Amino acid sequence: MKVQNWILTALIFFFTLSSATAQSNSGDFMRSMGKMYVVVAVIVAVFMGIVLFLVFLDRRLTKIENQIKDHG
Amino acid sequence: MDRLIKKNWWKALGVLILLYVFVMGMLVPLKPGITQVTPSATRTNSQIVLDVQGYNTHFDEAKDTMRIWIKMDDEYILAATRITVKGPTQVEAAFEIPAYLPSDRRVQDFALVIDNHIDGAAVRPNALLVTQDSIDLAMGQTVWRSDRMENLHQLKGITFPFRNILGETIRNTYFHVSLWLAMMIIFTAAMVYSIKYLRKQERRFDHWAAALTTVGLLLGGLGLLTGAIWAEYTWGKFWSWDIKQFTTLIALLIYFAYFVLRRSFPDEAQQARISAVYNIFAFVALIPLIYVLPRLTDSLHPGNGGNPAFGSEDLDSTMRMVFYPAVIGWTLLSCWIASLLYRTAVIEEHLWDEEPTHD
Repeated sequence: MKVQNWILTALIFFFTLSSATAQSNSGDFMRSMGKMYVVVAVIVAVFMGIVLFLVFLDRRLTKIENQIKDHG
Repeated sequence: MDRLIKKNWWKALGVLILLYVFVMGMLVPLKPGITQVTPSATRTNSQIVLDVQGYNTHFDEAKDTMRIWIKMDDEYILAATRITVKGPTQVEAAFEIPAYLPSDRRVQDFALVIDNHIDGAAVRPNALLVTQDSIDLAMGQTVWRSDRMENLHQLKGITFPFRNILGETIRNTYFHVSLWLAMMIIFTAAMVYSIKYLRKQERRFDHWAAALTTVGLLLGGLGLLTGAIWAEYTWGKFWSWDIKQFTTLIALLIYFAYFVLRRSFPDEAQQARISAVYNIFAFVALIPLIYVLPRLTDSLHPGNGGNPAFGSEDLDSTMRMVFYPAVIGWTLLSCWIASLLYRTAVIEEHLWDEEPTHD
């Protein structure tokens, strides 16, 4: 899959999740315990961003490996 | 092994600092605070029972030392006549509002102050609005002189400040605000490498500039995303076209164009030179977009619309103990990521250069 597809998939997943939370009562869940789960969501977002970067770097290194295989 | 430590110690340091930030940022409790006071309005010359909701409080255990006041300023204060503790986070306080207020305004706002020996003192500003039937400043001043607010208890142990609406999300300072500061440091470094490239014309400086800009963009993107999540539960909307949201989006789009620009030149030297110039331009645009424009008009962000950013109101000394390490930690981690990108770019360059000889 291309990087663009990955990003698109992540975005669709994100919007599905947010609309699902809007319909159910999980707004109350996010606001419970003094809105602690908002902090959890933010940390998860940062973690997912770093993972997305790892995927990007992984693909770039795979290209290099293939290049070496083809010519070496 | 020695060489390994000498070369890589800063990566371990970055991870250790971030570990400290995660542990402290998540585990230090919030200072006890007041989340709700009902009713929120009354008239003069009346009796009123206020229902006060606390957060992280221990009202039931500290029943004997509970004291509650409403306060106009440091001089005019009224103590509760009766206090009924309903639970660890609920208390009722009865007040007898005199016939006149020590104020010449028709509607005067009062802060509510609670003090006990376990939770220390907690304040809720604008807790109660009192409307007076007739204004008599002199009468009000004589009636309101009796009560004093003295010997307030100090809370023991370290806590983060309690702010209404924010609640626990004040911890996002370490996972959202610090990302932006780290991004600024990374973009500054990228600009320095761009200048270096223009002076020395060495390819490696261009690789560093590109790697750092990529990481800066990652940090900025995460900053926007985490900001949107935080905004949903504090401002009410993911994206409210707040001036700072808007200007940072523009700044990030300018930086995004850096990569579009890089790809559009087939000649390497030309590509490196033009993208270095563009990177300096992007940094010059970034500063007013993030630090100047949002201050000129009203913004939902704290520290904008004329307020100084990071005043003692926004960031107290315990928060600084975690916030500054967070900035350093994210910056070191970003440098690590940038160095991976740099090394990849150098390997790619070698491979592409060798390619013609192999074919």
